[in-house]
Parts: sequence; structure tokens; C-alpha cells
Amino acid sequence: MTAGHVDQRVAGLAEARAGRRTLLGAAGGAGVLFSTALGAGTAGAAVPAARTRKRAYVVVIDGCLPEEIDSGLTPNLQRLRDEGLRHPRAASLPVMETIPNHTMMMSGMRPDRTGVPANSVFDRELGEVRTLDRPSDLRAPTLLERLDRRGLRTGTVLSKEYLYGIFGTRATYRWEPAPIVPVAEYAPDEFTMTAAREMVTAHDPHLMFVNLGDIDRFGHSDLSGPGGLELLRRTALANTDRLVGGFVDLLREEGHWEHAIMVVLADHSMDFSFPDRVISLTAPLEADPMLAGQVAIADNGGADLLYWLGPARRRDEAVRRMRAIAEETDGVLEALDRRKASLRLGPEAGDVVVHCRDGWRFSDPDPVTSNPIPGNHGHPATRPIPFFISGGHPSVPRRTARPGLATTADVAPTVGQFFGLPAPRGGYDGRSRL
Amino acid sequence: MTTPTRRTVLRTGAAGALGTAALAPGVLSPGAVAAPGARADRRTFAHGVASGDPLPRRVVIWTRVTPTPASTPGSGKGPQVTVRWEVARDAAFTRVVRRGNAVTGPSRDHTVKVDVDGLDADRWYHYRFVLDGRRSPVGRLRTAPRARAAVRRLRLGVVSCANWQAGMFAAYRGIAARDDLDAVLCLGDYLYEYAPGEYGYGNGNVDVRPHDPAREMVSLEDYRRRHAQYKTDPDLQAAHARYPWIVTWDDHETTNDAWRNGAENHQPDTEGDFKARRARAHRAYDEWMPVRMDGTARLGDGTRLYRRLTWGKLAEISMLDLRTYRSEQSSDPQAISDPARTITGKRQLAWLLDSLGRRASQWKVVGNPVMIAPVTLGALPTAKAQAVTEVTGLAPDEGVPINVDQWDGYTADRRQVFDHLRDLNIDDALFVTGDIHSAWAAELPFEKGTYPLSGTVGVEFVCSSVTSNNLDDITGGPEGSSAAVEATIKGANPHIKYLDFDRHGFSVLDITPVRAQMDWFVLGDRREADTTITHSASWLTRASSGTVEQAEGPAR
Repeated sequence: MTAGHVDQRVAGLAEARAGRRTLLGAAGGAGVLFSTALGAGTAGAAVPAARTRKRAYVVVIDGCLPEEIDSGLTPNLQRLRDEGLRHPRAASLPVMETIPNHTMMMSGMRPDRTGVPANSVFDRELGEVRTLDRPSDLRAPTLLERLDRRGLRTGTVLSKEYLYGIFGTRATYRWEPAPIVPVAEYAPDEFTMTAAREMVTAHDPHLMFVNLGDIDRFGHSDLSGPGGLELLRRTALANTDRLVGGFVDLLREEGHWEHAIMVVLADHSMDFSFPDRVISLTAPLEADPMLAGQVAIADNGGADLLYWLGPARRRDEAVRRMRAIAEETDGVLEALDRRKASLRLGPEAGDVVVHCRDGWRFSDPDPVTSNPIPGNHGHPATRPIPFFISGGHPSVPRRTARPGLATTADVAPTVGQFFGLPAPRGGYDGRSRL
Repeated sequence: MTTPTRRTVLRTGAAGALGTAALAPGVLSPGAVAAPGARADRRTFAHGVASGDPLPRRVVIWTRVTPTPASTPGSGKGPQVTVRWEVARDAAFTRVVRRGNAVTGPSRDHTVKVDVDGLDADRWYHYRFVLDGRRSPVGRLRTAPRARAAVRRLRLGVVSCANWQAGMFAAYRGIAARDDLDAVLCLGDYLYEYAPGEYGYGNGNVDVRPHDPAREMVSLEDYRRRHAQYKTDPDLQAAHARYPWIVTWDDHETTNDAWRNGAENHQPDTEGDFKARRARAHRAYDEWMPVRMDGTARLGDGTRLYRRLTWGKLAEISMLDLRTYRSEQSSDPQAISDPARTITGKRQLAWLLDSLGRRASQWKVVGNPVMIAPVTLGALPTAKAQAVTEVTGLAPDEGVPINVDQWDGYTADRRQVFDHLRDLNIDDALFVTGDIHSAWAAELPFEKGTYPLSGTVGVEFVCSSVTSNNLDDITGGPEGSSAAVEATIKGANPHIKYLDFDRHGFSVLDITPVRAQMDWFVLGDRREADTTITHSASWLTRASSGTVEQAEGPAR
């Protein structure tokens, strides 16, 4: 059931750029199609197809909070967590957004090496703010093509269009999310999981990378979130958990589970803000005579990235001013020099990274229309994530919890080690958790 | 709720099965681990041995020598002497790994305190002192794991509020009898300042055993003698010899309700300058406790007690000093939220926020001398409210009683701490608290008024007192008679999940990457040194949850 285009890699780029659908799957299974390069595992044709029975499944519960696994709504996730290797302390990495943390998972590298620091950046060449959803935006090697080159099949089932976009044609098999919910630009978990099941049945990838978007998407728009009710989100949690449970059942039935590791984590968590807790830095920055007209802002919900557009020689002074103005603004937690070493952000992230406090959000450039949604992330309050490794393979410790800090950048080293893949040039920034 | 009265506990005696089961086999006799072939000289080393503040390579060891009969504590008499110390891998001292000499004399009340360096991380050792061939009892100490070690468990004894006059230190016997702890956390009120007859047992105010000196401690001699008296207690000696202690003070180490420039129980007219008195109290504390002040075991180089200890990647323990820098207590509703007032002082607050934000370790344990969970008393009858006020320091305030000696009286500081925990989404903040002579398990609501919808920022476990009076002692009722009050308080404070106002004892805090659990062990009759010790309750908090729940039983 492969869509054997003439040159899938090129075609994939075009698809991703154009946002055009190649396909078409209907829920229910039959007819789900996957893009692929001609012949699985032939990207590096010199390498014979590996015969390992090992399988790795990386399942991202987008936007899930660690404590939600104990909420009683997710019995399947809770069981997987408690029976395997659990990292009670795990963190998303700056900027705590979806695209950078997914690229960190697959590359094991931080944004100063991947080139992907946030969902939204100001593109200095284009002169506008845009989403980092192009295959060329991701500069680092990922497991998807590195394993493929060694003859192992890899697959992506990513619910969000921009994730499908940025990973381009790196994986051997790719599902293009469909049907897409307008505005949210993602496929509901019901469809995503159907595709994941189909991909296992049809192509049985050695590594599968699955993003489930419901919990994040329902959180973003959940108007009961700021009051603590989170009604939509709770419904989504129970449903996603059921789907994950069904996926594990399938892996058992197909005989993959005993050879598999399954890494389950989130890319970031979620924070809810009331309508009156909105920060807009555009006006105060414009009010500064030096900065007026010389600053661009890429709004990432809980983090604003500020870009100095004026002459380079005045950059240091501009950074000082931007930080001072931001830090005087209500709701701002901190305004950091992007060059701060621990951030590990490259120049794509601009000059100043501003984080909001818990319960706030940014809306730039327009204080009302730019970001009206209650659920946000990107700021430190959304750093903790669930992170655990399950699966039937003997390398997975049973009923073990470790106190060390695990991060999204640890996924690639973990899976890489599992398959015996050497570290990439320059090494990983994360570390294996096995 | 069926709660055993003191009488039923006594009647069940040793058949307090839970407690007995929880105690390790091979219960020690009072005193230290005996070294084969070496008898301890208990006249020269009349105050036992102690260790404290374990780091990966360093631990403080302590003793006090009485080189001549005249060299009694506080006397200022006796010669300068050199005491040898030894640290060995075994109790027989066949494998001594560190040894040295320490000079002591009347200027430091013949106390010896050494910060032993060069030890291996995460190991148990034995230590002893020798003066002119006379040997001390042998103590045990352990080092902390390396900072980056993936530690799977930390188990701490937790104690506070040991009033000599109110009873015997059976709780310390319970600590010493266990073989499964890593260290003992002492959250303050290790000793009391009162004269005989001023603060004793129960509502009859009976002194089970009188304080020495027979006056409120005010002078340096007084403080030294009082410390010395406490350290003659065999159960306290055994608990010190058995485990390293991690201590902080509350008010009674100086005097009741101490604040930056004074105290409720300090009368400048007759007792002189408060700060001079406090300096004497701190001096005696530094001499007599196995603790690093201002980061060292040296005397006289500073009295900063707040400090951080690390237990691998599992836990960091931040010990607070909530007396030395705090503003005066007030029950004025305007004042309690005045940002100009402080319970921590500015520097300590910045340090605490930094501690909480550090990412090296999972559990942020805060050794917290006074309670941080907000508490209102609800609609209690006046007499009961007054009794609660007396035992806890909760004071009525215009009909809305609040807890003004505690963080409740300094809400601006607490707001900063809670905001910080929320803004950085810091998981696993765990406040472990003493001071109020009662046992509590509480969630820390981000905003009390909108709890539970507005969520929590951490949890708090409060240990009961070793001996100091609590509610039934004041009302004169039997243990368990405070159930109605407890129910009222829990009703008015839904974030408070467990409360025992009547019992005394110690706690065990067991921390793993998955959860932290507090077990409360309670005494039969604290007037008797050999009274029963039984398990009363266990509550836990799961990692990342910020909530507490009842545990099935004590940690195994």
C-alpha cells in the first residue's frame, strides 16, 4: 500500500511545502496510505536490510502533564509507566514547544545544533514570522534517516501538519495527517492511531514515531481550563489512553511487544491563562525610541522571541533595553539573553527570550487577536513532562523508577543505543535512559 | 474515627503489633554501639557522641569530654586537653580510615567538633574519641551519596519539640532502635528554656523531671548546662550515636516566640539585651550540636544555620532558620500580609527560591521549623479555640483565627514561595515541619480560596512532638478526645487531609523516586522511658502529584 512516487524525497518536500495532501485515509483502517521512498530500507542501498526483531515505538502524548498519568483517567498509560522504567522527573527543553521538542527527540540534539528552537520564529530572510515546518529547517541528522540508511524501516505517524512538514521524507514510511481539523491543523487521535495500527500491520517499521495531538489540542481550546475543570481535556485523556492501550494490544498480537521498547513522553505540558492575563510586548517596545520599528516578535504562547532588526553594533544595547522593558511588564517571569549558554538556542531564536509566569500568555503583535487561546506552553511552568519506557524487550528495566532528570533530547540516544546505532558526529546532547 | 486512647495503648502494651513490627530486630540497649573489647568511659564522655550534616566526603562528629570532676558543663573549669578521634570502617576499629587530634578546653565548654573529610561517599563508618586512653562510646555515621548518584531511597527519622520536663525521650529510643534510617531530621525545639514549674507535663503542668539549671536559661552557662542535661538522656544519646543528625532550631533553643529583635519570653529589663542573649544561645548550640554553622564546624565564625544537603539525584534538603531574621509576630490582618514583614529574611528567601528551583535533585525537601500550609480554625467553640491556640500558636484574629507564629503570619513571603513553585512548575516540593506538637498531612494550595481547582504547589508533612504538650494535654481529655476539633479544622481546611492533635512520638520519612511517605509512630505514656511505641498513620505523596493520600501501612 505504498504510494510509489517517482522521487518521493523530492515529492515529499513539495508536499510538505505546499501543505498538499497526498492521501486520504478513512478511519477504520482500509485505505490508509503511506508515502515512502521506493522500496523500504533502500535509502542507503549499500546496506542490506537488517534482520533484527527489535522494535522501538516512540509515542508522544502531546501536551500531557506528568500528574495526569495518576489522574485515574489513563489506566493503560499508568500501567505501562509502573511496569517499566519510569522517570518521575522529566522535562521539556526550551523553547517548550512542539516542533523543537520533537526534533530534539529524534536528533538527540539541542536547538543550537538542530536549527529548530521554537514553533514560530522570525525569518530574517523572509522578513516575516513563520512556522518552522519545512524539511530544510531541521539541520540535524535524525534517527529516522540514520536507521533507514542502515537498512532499518522507520515510520512517522504525526498528527500535526507542521510536524509532518518538518520531518519531510526522512522516515521510510510517512503518514500524512488526515482528516485535518481546520484551524487546529491536526488529525484527531482516533485517525492517527488507526494510521499507526495500519503502519504496523502493513510495514512493521523498526522505529515508529507517533504524535497524538488530542490532549494538546483540546487543552489549547479548553475554556474550562483556567478554572481548573479542564472538561474537554479530561475527555481527551481517557480517549487517548484507550487508543494507546489498543495499540499495545496490537503489538502483542502481532508478536512485536516482546522485542520492543516503547518510549512514552510528552513534548511539553500545558498551562491555562485567564483572559485578563495576557502580555503584549509590542506596545511597550514600540514606545522605546531606540526600539521602535526595530523589533520583531515571534509569539510562542508562553514564550516571546524578540529579534533586533537594527544595526548589529547596537545589538547589545538593544538587548539590554528589550530585557528591561519586558521584565517590567506584568506577567513576565524573566527576559533572557538568547545567548545564555544553558538555553542552547541558536540565532534562529532571536536576541531575547521572554517567558511568562504561570497563568499568563503572550499575545503579540496584537494583544487581542494574535493569541486568544487559554491553554499555552513555552514557559517554564510547562516544563515537566511524563517520561517512561515500557515494552517487552529484556533491556527494559521492570518496575523501576530513577530520580535523574530525563529530557526530550534523551529519546534519540536511548533508541539509538537500543539498535546499536553509533552516536552522530559531535555526539548527542541527551543521554540514553536504558 | 476510632482512635485508641492512651489507656488502650497501654493495655495492648507490646502487642502494639504495628509498631513492634516496624522496629528493626536487634534493639539496642541505650547508648551507642558497643565496640568489642573496649569499654566506654562514661564519666569522661558523659554526654555521648554525635554526628551530623552528612556530605559525600565529610561528616561532622561531636563529643564533650569531662577531663576532671570539676569540669562540669558551663563551669568554665578544667584544663585544655587534646582528644584523639578515629573513624573506621568497622566497629572494632581494625580498619581506621581517618584519625586526628582536636584541642578543647573551658573556652568551648570542653566540646569537640570535627568536620571529618576524605571519606567515601554513601558509606557507613564508626567513630570514637579517646582522651588519655579513655574511650568514648562508639557512634555510627554515614556519608551522603555523590551528588550525581541515582539514589533509590532515602529514609529519615523526623523529630521535634522535646521538652525534658514534659516526659521521657522514648521517641528517641524508637529512632535508635531502628536499623533502616539514613539520618535524623530535627526540626527544632531540641531543648526548652523554661525553669522548673514553668512548662511541664499536661494541664497540671507537672515536671516529669526538672530542668537544670533550675531557672530559665539566659546566661551562656545556663545554655551550656541545659544542652548538657539533655545530652545525658540515654535515649537521646543512643539516637545521636546511631545516626547522623541534620538539625535546625526553632524558638526554644533561644526562647519562646523569638524574632529578629526580641521574643515573647524575653524581658530586657531583667534579662538584658536580646541579641546578646541570642548570641549566647547560638554559641552554646554551635558548641553542643553536630552541625555546620556558616558552612563550617568551627566555632565563632558565623551562625548561619540555613543550608542545603544533597542526597544524590533523589533529594535535596534545605534546612531553614525561621527565627533569626523574622519580623515580630502580629495578628493584625493588615500586618500579616505586609510585604515589608518577613519570616525568612530577604537573603534566606532568595536562597530558598534558588534551592527550590535547582534541578540537580528530584525531591525538594524543606526542613521547615514552622508550618507553611494555611490554616483557619473554622467555627470552634471558644474554649476549644483557646486550647488550640495555646498548643499550636494559632491565634484568633477578629473571629477569623489564623496561625500567626507560622507562615500564616507572614503571607507575603509565602506568596513568593508559592508563586515561584508555580511559575517554574517545580514538582515534588516537600515541606517537613515541626513546632506545633501535632501530626499533619496537607497539600499546599496555590490559592486556599479556590482549592482544589486552582491546584497545589507541594505538600507538607508535620511531625508531632517528642514530649511537648498538645491538645488533649491542655484540655485534660484523654488521647483521641480532640477528634471533633480535628474534624472541624479539616472541614474548614479541605487541603488538610490528616491531623492528630493528641499523640507524641516521631516520624519516618521514606523517599523514593516514585513517592515520599511519612509514617507517624506514637508513644503510650511519655512519662515512661520504656513506654510502647506504635504505628499510628502513614500518608504519602506521589511524584509530580502535589497531593497526599493515605498509605496502606508503614514503609517497608
